[in-house]
Amino acid sequence: MSTTTAHPSAADAAPQSVAAPSAAERPLPVLAVDLVTEPALLGGLAELARDLEQAGVGALTLSDGGLHPIHVAAHLAPLTSSIGLLPRTDAVYVEPFHLATQLMSLDHLSHGRAGWLLRAETDPEVAATVGRTVLDLAATAREAADVLETARLLWDSWAPDAVVRDVASGTYVDAARLQYVDVEAETFSVRGPAITPRSPQGLLPVLLADTDRAAAGERTAERADGRVLDLDLSSGLTIAQAAVRIREALAAVPAPGSSAEGGAVLEDPADSGAAPDAAAVRLVRLVGLDLEADPLGTVAGLTADLRSEGLIAPAPTPGQDLRTRLGLSPAPFRLDPARRSDRARLSREESA
Amino acid sequence: MTTTSPTRHRARAERPLSAEAAALATGPAAHPLHPDHTPTGQLAFGAFFQGVNSSTIWRLPASGDQVAWDSFEALVRTAERGKFAAFFLGEGLRLREHRGVPFELDVAGRPDAQTLLAALAGVTERIGLVATQNTTYNDPVDLARRLQTLDLLSGGRAGWNIVTTDNAWTGENFRRGGYLDHADRYLHAEAFVQVAGQYWRGERIAHDGAHYTVRAQGELPRSAQGSPVLFQAGASPDGQDFAARTADVIFSPHGTLEAAAHFRRSIVERTVAAGRDPAGVKILPGAEIILAATEAEAEEKVRWVRDQQVGPEQAIALLEQYWGRDLSAFDPDGPLPDVPPEVAESGVTRGAGFQFAKAEELTRTWREEATQKGQSILEFARAKAGARRGTFTGSYDTVADRLEEFARLGAIDGLNITPWLIPSGLDDIVDELIPRLQERGVYPSDYAGSTLRENLGLPAV
Repeated sequence: MSTTTAHPSAADAAPQSVAAPSAAERPLPVLAVDLVTEPALLGGLAELARDLEQAGVGALTLSDGGLHPIHVAAHLAPLTSSIGLLPRTDAVYVEPFHLATQLMSLDHLSHGRAGWLLRAETDPEVAATVGRTVLDLAATAREAADVLETARLLWDSWAPDAVVRDVASGTYVDAARLQYVDVEAETFSVRGPAITPRSPQGLLPVLLADTDRAAAGERTAERADGRVLDLDLSSGLTIAQAAVRIREALAAVPAPGSSAEGGAVLEDPADSGAAPDAAAVRLVRLVGLDLEADPLGTVAGLTADLRSEGLIAPAPTPGQDLRTRLGLSPAPFRLDPARRSDRARLSREESA
Repeated sequence: MTTTSPTRHRARAERPLSAEAAALATGPAAHPLHPDHTPTGQLAFGAFFQGVNSSTIWRLPASGDQVAWDSFEALVRTAERGKFAAFFLGEGLRLREHRGVPFELDVAGRPDAQTLLAALAGVTERIGLVATQNTTYNDPVDLARRLQTLDLLSGGRAGWNIVTTDNAWTGENFRRGGYLDHADRYLHAEAFVQVAGQYWRGERIAHDGAHYTVRAQGELPRSAQGSPVLFQAGASPDGQDFAARTADVIFSPHGTLEAAAHFRRSIVERTVAAGRDPAGVKILPGAEIILAATEAEAEEKVRWVRDQQVGPEQAIALLEQYWGRDLSAFDPDGPLPDVPPEVAESGVTRGAGFQFAKAEELTRTWREEATQKGQSILEFARAKAGARRGTFTGSYDTVADRLEEFARLGAIDGLNITPWLIPSGLDDIVDELIPRLQERGVYPSDYAGSTLRENLGLPAV
């Protein structure tokens, strides 16, 4: 993907000169429970989310079971107070502009508890629902990475202080604090800016589950904010086995900047768009839970035990945003002078 | 729908219709406007959180945050306290621009409508949740699924305000770009709505149309109301025909009784021609309500509201929109510019609510109009802004009497009200106007049911 003008990459979010923490110093991963958005879940959805929050679970991931995961996450936001909300949704057979808007809106109404579990769809039937032919693997990966970069540019298209409400000059919003995104990707283009002001976290954390890594491709994996370790409880994983899996995963993470497993060594990290610590395990996701048969027993026990063994992050506290809990630094606003949305006025003034 | 609601207040003895209303009636009391239309005598209100444009005042200390969850939650709670049938959100898919720069003088930027409504569904119980969504720059199955998700999450309270656009400028944010001819936008929208309907009914979709090809399977259960309620604002003849064939609710603004009566006749005829029962198409014009205890105070308040809505900078920008050139050297308190427009078609300002027109002719007409009325640029701009809003103003009692007449004549089925202040802009409507409408027997004292269709008096689907 290219933009019509150069723009800073996500790598600039963290100073490159400062050594990232070693694996041992990394924050502990947040424990998440995966809910599949089946219509049958509707009646007990709010109660279940609150119970999981009470049990100390750090985040919910919403996997697609029919109901739209972003809207289900939004629905749960005012009904919960501290749990993180991460829809797991496709980056390929979507309108990038709509997807970015929906996710940043989720961040607004959850007061900074939103994240995105990115997946790259490979099912021809899903492609056909939007009148497209399924892409091959290389094109799928390219599309996912392009959409991720576009979403971040849109999220970063309003400065935190763009809404000025200056009564004296009659100015509600300052166009000098907005920027176009000017994306010209292989299969789509987006002008921007976003139609939604900057959300509380600025850039939502974007995570990639190991199961979704192959389809999403290397560029997406490098640009993600971290990995998700899945623990499948459907086959009766014990707490001890879960602990071993987490320890192994945390120990296996290479030092930042070196070759990630299966990943290319980055020639110049500052220009690559790679996230500073994309290989870090930030989320441990419990999947395959039978929440009808045993809604809380398994989860509450696991949560308490893994926490007492020091393997997962403390229970979330209200007011703390998801980036902070995941160990990500705040996302600064980066204004690119070439993309400033008042450029037409500036050039008029110059020629005058 | 019957003429009395089960929850209706004790009606006062009905006053005779005013001379104005009586003059508009062409039939007996049961069918005053059209033989195929029976007034329900009832009004339903919607609350339209505009989000973007000059209708919402942002300059006052009481002006709340336009994006914060708290603003939306506070407004929807007030609306539900007032038994409003619907809470309605707008949408524009590109930031409005003026002379190539995002427009800086009005409220701008809002959250995604459906994502927000999915959250509001969790903190409300009865009020309908209506999202404006564009047929040109959405995929029908994706949009249908999101609307059905909202309908299921809310227990059958979802609505969709169907809007179309053909402008390529908005298309710059989307995969297809500007692909649609102006003349085709309603054809496209109709095909889109058909595909959405198939999805909601759980059907296998194999659509090969002029603009897209879709293969999909509806996979979600029906909601408590069957499928989302369809809103439309079509005012042009094509738009009215589209609405008569497709919509459950029409909300284009008609501030005068005469205009509303005329519009009702037009819609009834088009609905009958389309083979539908006219009782299945409700008319809730977009409206602004400015109230006070007395007539004199209300008059004063309208002036004050207009002053807050349209400042000197916005007045100049309004003219620049049509003149197509920099008019910042003109005094807002002086006469309209005596310079010719620089463009043939106004197009320097783009986005929701901005108008396109033949510039030469329009600017000349405006200059004449302002000269005749002795209006300055600022006065003219404020008058123009107000004229677009379908404003009802007066004392609580006057406005209640007037709305009673609209209801009894059957000119409208309710109003879609844009508060001029967020989040407190519905307070006086709920606390002062609605009790008076209830006393007059034209507004429900409680929700008729749990779904939006029930609360609008629409038949189940």
